[in-house]
Amino acid sequence: MLTPEYRRDLEIRRYPTYIYILVPLAALVLQAWLPRIIGRFAYMDLPLLVTIYFALNRRSPIHGTVLGAVLGMAQDGLSGRAVGIHGIANTVCGFLAASIGIRIVVENNLIRMVLNFMFSLLASAMVVFITRVLLGLEFQWNWLDELLRAAGNGAIGLALFPLLDRTQARD
Amino acid sequence: MESFFSRYRNLVVLVAALLLQVIGLAVQVRKAVPAEATGLPGAGLREGRSVQLIRLWAADMVTPFERGIHGTGQGLSGLWSNYIDLRHTRDENKELQKTIDRLRLEQATLLEDARRGQRLQALEKFREGYIYATTPAQVIGTSGNSQSHVLWLDKGADSGFKPDMAVITGDGIVGKVRDVFEHTAQVLVINDQTSGAGVVLQTTRIRGILRGNAAGQPQVINILADARIQPGEPVLTAGGDQIFPRGLPVGAVDRVERDRERGSFINVIVKPAAKLDNLDEVLVITSLQPQLSPQQMADLKTSEELKGAEVAADIERKKAAAEMAERLPGLVDPNAPVPATPKDANGKPIAPAIDPKTGQPVPVPPVIPKALPAKHPDRFSPAGMSGNGADVGPSADTGQDTGRDVTTVAAKSLVAGKKPTSAPVATAKPAGHTAGAGVKTPAPKPLKPKSGVQ
Repeated sequence: MLTPEYRRDLEIRRYPTYIYILVPLAALVLQAWLPRIIGRFAYMDLPLLVTIYFALNRRSPIHGTVLGAVLGMAQDGLSGRAVGIHGIANTVCGFLAASIGIRIVVENNLIRMVLNFMFSLLASAMVVFITRVLLGLEFQWNWLDELLRAAGNGAIGLALFPLLDRTQARD
Repeated sequence: MESFFSRYRNLVVLVAALLLQVIGLAVQVRKAVPAEATGLPGAGLREGRSVQLIRLWAADMVTPFERGIHGTGQGLSGLWSNYIDLRHTRDENKELQKTIDRLRLEQATLLEDARRGQRLQALEKFREGYIYATTPAQVIGTSGNSQSHVLWLDKGADSGFKPDMAVITGDGIVGKVRDVFEHTAQVLVINDQTSGAGVVLQTTRIRGILRGNAAGQPQVINILADARIQPGEPVLTAGGDQIFPRGLPVGAVDRVERDRERGSFINVIVKPAAKLDNLDEVLVITSLQPQLSPQQMADLKTSEELKGAEVAADIERKKAAAEMAERLPGLVDPNAPVPATPKDANGKPIAPAIDPKTGQPVPVPPVIPKALPAKHPDRFSPAGMSGNGADVGPSADTGQDTGRDVTTVAAKSLVAGKKPTSAPVATAKPAGHTAGAGVKTPAPKPLKPKSGVQ
């Protein structure tokens, strides 16, 4: 008989260690490099997508939290803004994604797309909240851009997640 | 206690991660506020060492790969364009060589103008230079965040870059260097919301601060509504921000939007001159002092020599004209200036007298300068030159008609023991007015032709 704990252990996906290093690094590099090619139409947030992916599949809130914090702070380090804005947003998204991954099956592409869309909106809202409310800085934002970025993340996730599925460790 | 942490370890880790980052944010904001008090646009960005360290790690983690990608791309592109796609290169080379020769001469002339401009600027105590030392750098990455418009360059402190150096392209300004690391530098682009640059609208001369908006467009903020601002008006750097030299192109006015919060103010949206979204190579202004390269110096020398030859030719031409004029004395220069009209004591022009016989105007003799009055007049002193300051009419100076009478009156006064008075002098008529009554004046000589007559 499968106990809930045993069932959860079965569904946890594991990856080789180098994947945990290379994929986030590639996400950061591409996120910094691609806007040079496609300009302001770079409606994507690859570090957030990678955070969501590993959090959903590892089903470990601690793992999701730490990965989100590290990737978010690295994003802030590359931008001109205070370090921690994206860090907090990605931390919360990583934790929530892992918590959701424990409860629902996330193999379906539609569910993945909806989750990516929702988490992108959440991250954008948190960035605006932190900048304008917590830090009290003057910050203009365009809701249409945020919607487009969320949609872009959902679409990219459709291609990226199956690709990353192939990198999981086989028993 | 142990069971609490093991039971809620996920939440504990989450709260700890959030708390650490919030504290970090608070520290950064607290340190940034005093820096903003400087009032300079773009200030408030000086950070602590720990934050710099995080940025350094992030840059070190990402930029080597970006440099590799960029280098590979450049290599492949170079391989194609330099070795494979070389059709019509020889013809193009010839054309380009001609263009270079022409441009070199033009540049030499422009350099001369630039030098003159610098001298004028120095006179007005402007500190901005006109020719700057620049270092080219490749753009290898961005912030990857649409709300933060930042570029990463492939050069840093090793190339002499320092914070707050201006970054430009041939089209216009790009931004300023924000953080500098050993081999990389971060550039804050002018369309970022935290950037700032002093600008001036070229035609209306309205000044303002340029910064980015939410859509990533640079805009001039805090301008009072002004109907003169029209789309297409060029925007230049004002030079007062200590970062960008004065007069560099920023862009052109795209449109004017009313400030939502303050009705009487407008925001001028600027279309940047530089392609901010697609930059490959930029120039970092490392010095505002004029530094001419050996080639530029050689061009300048050529320009001066050319100018010297022109001046010498001009002198020769004038000399030849003067010689020609001496050989042909009857020539009258039609371009010669009109001689000055004689004026009376009140400064009014004297009307020329008409000769009753010929009906032609009689030439007016030139005004003879007055002699200074003698301090201690004696009998040898000219009439009317007693030191009482009495004015002497022009006729007295001539001594032709009225001079005798004046001397006689003065002698009589001396004999009678009286001081000579100026009364007779005052009654003397000016020579100019008696010109038609027998005053002989020498006929004016014909004007000699001036130089320049061929």
